[in-house]
Amino acid sequence: MGQTVKVPDTDFEVVTARPRIASVPLSHLSVELGHLYMEDFGRGPGVLTEHFGRVRPLFEELRERASARWGGRPRISTCFLIDDYFSQLREPAELIPELLAAAAEAGVTVDYVARESGCAHTGAISPAEIALGRLVSDPPPGTDGSRPPTLETGWLSNGEREHHSDINEAMTGLRPWSPPRENGARMHSIYVDVELWHEHTGKRVWSCAYLAAVWQLLRLGVLRDQGSPLVTPEPWDEGRPYPRDWSDLPPVVKVNPRAQPFCAFRTYTFLDTRFLPTEAAVRVILSQISLDPAVRELTERRAREEKIELPPELVTRISHVFSDAL
Amino acid sequence: MSSRTHSEPPRLTVGTVRTGLLRHSSAVSRELAIRLLRLVPSEHVAWSARPRAYAVSPELLTGVDCPLPSRNGSRVRGVGTLASRATITGGRILQSSAHTTVVRAERSYRQPWSHYLARPGVVEAIGKPNFQDIADGFTADDRGFRGIETTIIADRAMDLVQASRLLDGKRPFAAPRTTLHWAFETPPSEGAAESGRLTFVIVNDELRTLRLAANTASLGTVLDFCEDLALHDWLLSTLLTLIDRAGFGQDDWTRVTNRIRPTVDHLLHLWWPGARVPEEFMPFWDSLDKRLGFKQQWEMSVNRIRDQLALGTLLTMLGSLENGTEKHESPLPRSAPFRAPADSP
Repeated sequence: MGQTVKVPDTDFEVVTARPRIASVPLSHLSVELGHLYMEDFGRGPGVLTEHFGRVRPLFEELRERASARWGGRPRISTCFLIDDYFSQLREPAELIPELLAAAAEAGVTVDYVARESGCAHTGAISPAEIALGRLVSDPPPGTDGSRPPTLETGWLSNGEREHHSDINEAMTGLRPWSPPRENGARMHSIYVDVELWHEHTGKRVWSCAYLAAVWQLLRLGVLRDQGSPLVTPEPWDEGRPYPRDWSDLPPVVKVNPRAQPFCAFRTYTFLDTRFLPTEAAVRVILSQISLDPAVRELTERRAREEKIELPPELVTRISHVFSDAL
Repeated sequence: MSSRTHSEPPRLTVGTVRTGLLRHSSAVSRELAIRLLRLVPSEHVAWSARPRAYAVSPELLTGVDCPLPSRNGSRVRGVGTLASRATITGGRILQSSAHTTVVRAERSYRQPWSHYLARPGVVEAIGKPNFQDIADGFTADDRGFRGIETTIIADRAMDLVQASRLLDGKRPFAAPRTTLHWAFETPPSEGAAESGRLTFVIVNDELRTLRLAANTASLGTVLDFCEDLALHDWLLSTLLTLIDRAGFGQDDWTRVTNRIRPTVDHLLHLWWPGARVPEEFMPFWDSLDKRLGFKQQWEMSVNRIRDQLALGTLLTMLGSLENGTEKHESPLPRSAPFRAPADSP
């Protein structure tokens, strides 16, 4: 080698067909106005009014800070996720109008209502399955790729599980027990092991934490199936009655016709402190989700065009506020 | 090639390409190739029909946290991901590759995993990486210290495809699975020619190593070049093996013809050096070819096969003519000693 062979300038390109990645409308911020278990809805409308009353000042402060950061009127959409996956004590026809009325009474507007089962499946597509295909597990030190990732079926952790001795090891005094260890722990470990699903009578039941992680991915607009978005919010005219079965309700319903886009560059979630362990698990899961490279490129380009700073790490695009009182 | 730029920090990419024959009796259609390569179910499989059928899977990521390759025994810790992919060329040849780009970490400790997933296909060296030593260790023929198991990671992608129930499992002939370990450096280190540097080593029947340095460098180009080189090297090796096994001049014409026919049915039309290599990298191909005589050896082998088949056909025709007119019961003449067609009657 050493000499460049001089050739006439002849450019050629092998066009490799790759269907387009659909773009979805994006707000600056998607704000989730709290979460309640299905049984909380059984405690009467007072619970809802009190809930939104507590969220309102937090939301207003957030809106002011968003205006200060992005200037003018940033695009902010609000949403509320109803847990219909684990129990369906109340029907949408009853529950949704009650929810919207309570929010209005407290002075906050809900733009989108979603049902949690939509994170498990929307028609033939399962957002939960698609997200599962995007997990790249966090490797413990010593991982050189020689063994497939050690995924206990249905579990995902942020480190190495504890090690118990068998009799031989105990007799020889080798490694009687070693504690679990967080990968990349600085001094001490905070080891988290999350159950993503279990099988119940032959059917896969997704965990609340896993569906909550999928819900964040849907709000960030980063999941695609062969380039197409998984969920498109369906407009719902005021006065149109809601169905009696949750399965008849679209996964995401746009209840405010003037709402900004459902998906956003970043998400903000207001929650009671009782949801803290669930959301810690959500962060462990999202830390191990790799984005579709085409979606990553598209989202980053749009952020640049709008001069919005977008962290490359997915998990840092989501924020939480935990509060019980005031 | 583009002019040397100093603005970009130096990069080293190491990778392994595995090449083999798809476990199927015939060339697979584009539709089947796309289904086979859907390694990430929600992502697209890209394909092109020209200059010949080609399909490429989405990239899989594998996390690692282990010592980096080294020749001199230094054990610098690397954390990050390897990208792997599988391709099918001509509906017949299956390749898989795993690669990663080594960069120096900004921190002296391991960061949260999300940091590494935001930089897919990059391993960060915690400590001071010596790119030369890493490349030396990775491409060392005596196995040096490879650290990251790129071969196993590439094989995993290949096995995912080969294990598919959509394949019938019947290969028309036995073919080796070859390995190419490659290391690409940009910009070239001091002392290299402006146009770059290439070192290709044939270690044994199944293993080759390649060192490449150039100023220009989209990773996609390098990957395409390495896969293209591995593919043609595999084609030539496989063809030579089949010729060897066919026993030209040592066996019955019909049997020789039957043994060599799969090359015509499945391999000969796939030879197209540089089919997926951008112009800027063609000088590497040409220079390599000048030294190793890839194309010449291929052409000679192909001519040999064609001559043998033509001769076989002719002798078979003549044989049946003889059989028909004079009712000879003897089998067709053995090829050795060689008899020119003109002498045959």
